[in-house]
Amino acid sequence: MDQIARYFFDFSLMSAYWPDILRGFLITIEMSILTVLIGVPLGLAIAILRLYGFGPLNALIILYIDFFRSIPQLVLIVLTYFALPSFGLVLSPFTATVVALAIVLSAFSEEIFWAGINAVSKGQWEAGRSTGLGFNQTLAYIILPQVVRISIPPLTNRAIGISKGTTLGSVVAVPELLNVTSSIQSNVANPTALTAGALLFLALFLPFVRFTRWLERAYAHPRS
Amino acid sequence: MPASADAIVAIDDLRKCFGNVEVLRGINLKVGKGEAVAIVGSSGSGKSTCLRCINRLEEPTTGTIRVGGQEVTGAKVDLNLLRQRIGMVFQGINLYPHMTAVGNVTLALRKVAGLGKAQAEQKARHHLDLVGLAHKADSYPAQLSGGQQQRVGIARAMALEPQVMLFDEPTSALDPELVSEVLNVMVRTKEMGMTMIVVTHEMHFARDVADRVVFIDHGAVLAEGTPEEILVSPQHQRIRDFVTRSRA
Repeated sequence: MDQIARYFFDFSLMSAYWPDILRGFLITIEMSILTVLIGVPLGLAIAILRLYGFGPLNALIILYIDFFRSIPQLVLIVLTYFALPSFGLVLSPFTATVVALAIVLSAFSEEIFWAGINAVSKGQWEAGRSTGLGFNQTLAYIILPQVVRISIPPLTNRAIGISKGTTLGSVVAVPELLNVTSSIQSNVANPTALTAGALLFLALFLPFVRFTRWLERAYAHPRS
Repeated sequence: MPASADAIVAIDDLRKCFGNVEVLRGINLKVGKGEAVAIVGSSGSGKSTCLRCINRLEEPTTGTIRVGGQEVTGAKVDLNLLRQRIGMVFQGINLYPHMTAVGNVTLALRKVAGLGKAQAEQKARHHLDLVGLAHKADSYPAQLSGGQQQRVGIARAMALEPQVMLFDEPTSALDPELVSEVLNVMVRTKEMGMTMIVVTHEMHFARDVADRVVFIDHGAVLAEGTPEEILVSPQHQRIRDFVTRSRA
């Protein structure tokens, strides 16, 4: 017991490092929020584009989705950072990580939205169109509100899973939370830094989960 | 049958193929202003497909359809404008589950008819009142019985003041004890002078309310006439069998 306290909860050792840890924490928050803010709307946009059903474009979309759902995030981050400069696109480690993760999240969320769109019955489209609403109006006022509601729980899972991938930014030297805390761990030869990191991850994702539960309620409608 | 000049709906040699299957094989039908026409026939006879061609939820393969003198079929038709003038009530009801009853009715009033918020709401509540649901205006579909939901469905279509109302088996999905409240609303709709085309299995509605009954068999009109002629003393063996089975 003593040993556990000494190895994992010796916060006195951390005093000098709190500013670094907090800076890492802020970077993790920024990357997570940006990944979700770019990835989810991009996924929705792709799902809507797919709904319009332009043949060749849909083939491209499916290729995009299947590719980015299959490729490991770590590889994609490394490729984005080290390979894109050969094509004249130089990204900072931070940007490269966010871009790579947002693309992966967009592919997963497209599939979630697409499944949601298909789960709404054809009769909803017919009801809307029969009153003279156009395709876009029916989509916006009738279909999408229902799609968003059924998509929130699976989207939450995905968004959290992929936001945790911000820790992979350490491979391209982003000074994010896990990177910072594992360096500290090496410096002071004590893993308490990782404990601090873990607690901060909890502090980040618990409110996020609560927020999505609130969203689910906000989009709910009486069922019986 | 009314002359084509004053027909609200005029269907001329309507054909519809799904792949190689011809489900409508040259339908001709005219419906006059204020007339209530019941389309009956066995399931799979093409009666719902015929109805859905009128507002082009199904695309006719060939043939012409006119509503209010204006051609429905044809490439340059403004479908959304057209559909505003053709109300439709569905077997599956299809209320929007995320909106209240009044929200279901106001949506098209606002976005299609272009009414302001207050005006649309007032009109929606008026039409909910006409179907006897003023007190349920703020309920969500899931809080309503099937019969109440379908009455909201009728109000939603009627609020746009269409030239004709299409009913696609409006009571088929309902529990038997909820059927009559919907049929009563339909009777009132007819009394208000609305032109109606009703695909139905409710023989007593066809017999007691419809001005004319059209019997469709294998994608063609087998017979049409007064309810008396078609349902009470039918000339065709096919129809006699159908009527006998429907009573059972």
